[in-house]
Amino acid sequence: MKSISEQNHYEILETHPTATREEIERAYRLALATYSDDSLAGYSVFAEGDAAALRERVEMAYRVLSDSRMRSEYDATLEIEPEDELPPAEPSAPLVPVEDPMGSPVPLHHDEFTHLDDGSGDFDGERLRHFRIRCGMEIEDIARVTKINPTYLGFIEEERFADLPDSVYVRGFVTAYANCVGLEGRSVAASYMKRFDKGDGGRRKGRFFESR
Amino acid sequence: MGDRLNKLAAKLLNSSDGSHRARLIPVGGGKGGVGKSFVVANLAASLARLGHRVVAVDGDLEGPNLHTCVGVPRPRVSLADFVAQREEDLGKLLLDTPIPNLHLIAATDGNLATPQPTQSRRVHLMRELRELDADFVFFDLGAGTHAAVMDYFMIGDEGLIVIAPEPTSVENAYGFVRAAFYRRLRLAMASHDMRKIVTLAMDQRNERGIRTPLELLREIQMLDPAEGARFVETMHAFHPRIVMNDVRTADDIKLGFSIQSVCRKFFGIEAEYLGYVNHDESARRSVCARRPLIDVYPRSDAAIYISRIARKLLANGAAGDSPEGSA
Repeated sequence: MKSISEQNHYEILETHPTATREEIERAYRLALATYSDDSLAGYSVFAEGDAAALRERVEMAYRVLSDSRMRSEYDATLEIEPEDELPPAEPSAPLVPVEDPMGSPVPLHHDEFTHLDDGSGDFDGERLRHFRIRCGMEIEDIARVTKINPTYLGFIEEERFADLPDSVYVRGFVTAYANCVGLEGRSVAASYMKRFDKGDGGRRKGRFFESR
Repeated sequence: MGDRLNKLAAKLLNSSDGSHRARLIPVGGGKGGVGKSFVVANLAASLARLGHRVVAVDGDLEGPNLHTCVGVPRPRVSLADFVAQREEDLGKLLLDTPIPNLHLIAATDGNLATPQPTQSRRVHLMRELRELDADFVFFDLGAGTHAAVMDYFMIGDEGLIVIAPEPTSVENAYGFVRAAFYRRLRLAMASHDMRKIVTLAMDQRNERGIRTPLELLREIQMLDPAEGARFVETMHAFHPRIVMNDVRTADDIKLGFSIQSVCRKFFGIEAEYLGYVNHDESARRSVCARRPLIDVYPRSDAAIYISRIARKLLANGAAGDSPEGSA
């Protein structure tokens, strides 16, 4: 049982030597939240200076592990076998903190609830939102990954069709959003766009064509 | 008497005679009002719906309400009959519920003067719980960390701790985890002196300045390496499971991981984040309707999340039934 001072960078971030860059990033973000001064998880446990000391260790660990060269050098000192390439396509065993305790280690795949909601059938904004929440993602997280304006993502969930841009853009947005939460983007977008076309989005398109 | 209780708990923890035993799942959390009974009622109903024989036992003799959550409005018998020695056989206190395969032992109509069982009665109760003819026995504990609650939590295979994403609940949950671990640790220590140190560490303003289980471990390792080894063994075997209830945001969901991290780093305890149940208005409506959510709103979000936790419990049981895998 190692004390904090004895833990290596991977242990400080509560990840493992075969972690992908994405996993390192996620572990870092979680550690920062956990050991912030006003952390709900920690304030009643931390003594004066505990959180700051841990954050310092977290920052140092992240600095090393997020840099391929520094990480390789560091791994060499740990007597572990580093991976051939740092960011493998598939994640390894769920040893790291995950975004969704009931899902797989990567929030974009959710094997556990496929038998409850397999992602087939019709999709509306509400169902998309449910999938996002199940992934433990905020709108801003989706925006960061997809590079889509978070306001539009919110409109998609709320089905504020009249406030969304033309359907060709919306289809792209929904596809990207769905992919991001582990759904099959094209089929989800096809389903969502039927609602869009029937709603204000469709009427607006109609008006657009009429005016031409 | 305390020793007798402890010995029974140790025996129960280590019992593995190969016979069919119900999986006994105590559910605590330290704080009242976080949704323990709601979670118990619905996990139990969910497993019953999957075809398992389930008994939900209300252990909160001073504030019983599990019967309301499972849809039994006026229990005719209850655990209070067992406490008062009017009934010796727990099996005779089983009540039908609206859910097939789910039975209830209520805790209504307790003696207002002396609601809690004596220690000898607690020993008897814990033995009887193990003997219930079921696949799962959920034991819904009252709030707080007093001795009776912690003893009940200790006998279970895989204790659940229900936490709401708010400071009061999180604080009390840590107190609960620490109390549960220290009581288990005291059992594991062979020497009287080390047990005394554990007892001392349970006083959070103790003179040695021991704040956390990890600090206590350092102290004990220094004084007695053999006891230190027993400490580490106990630590490795203790895996309380966390359920976050009434979560509203992604940050609430992540809080479970943060609590897991703090338990690991500051206490040396590996808590397992079993899952979360989201805030859902249908949950409140189901309580008002005095029926399990699983029963009245099976397609609601919260019902889906609870079903997932139930399936995880099943999967965990299938993965390892050994005492080492227990909390």
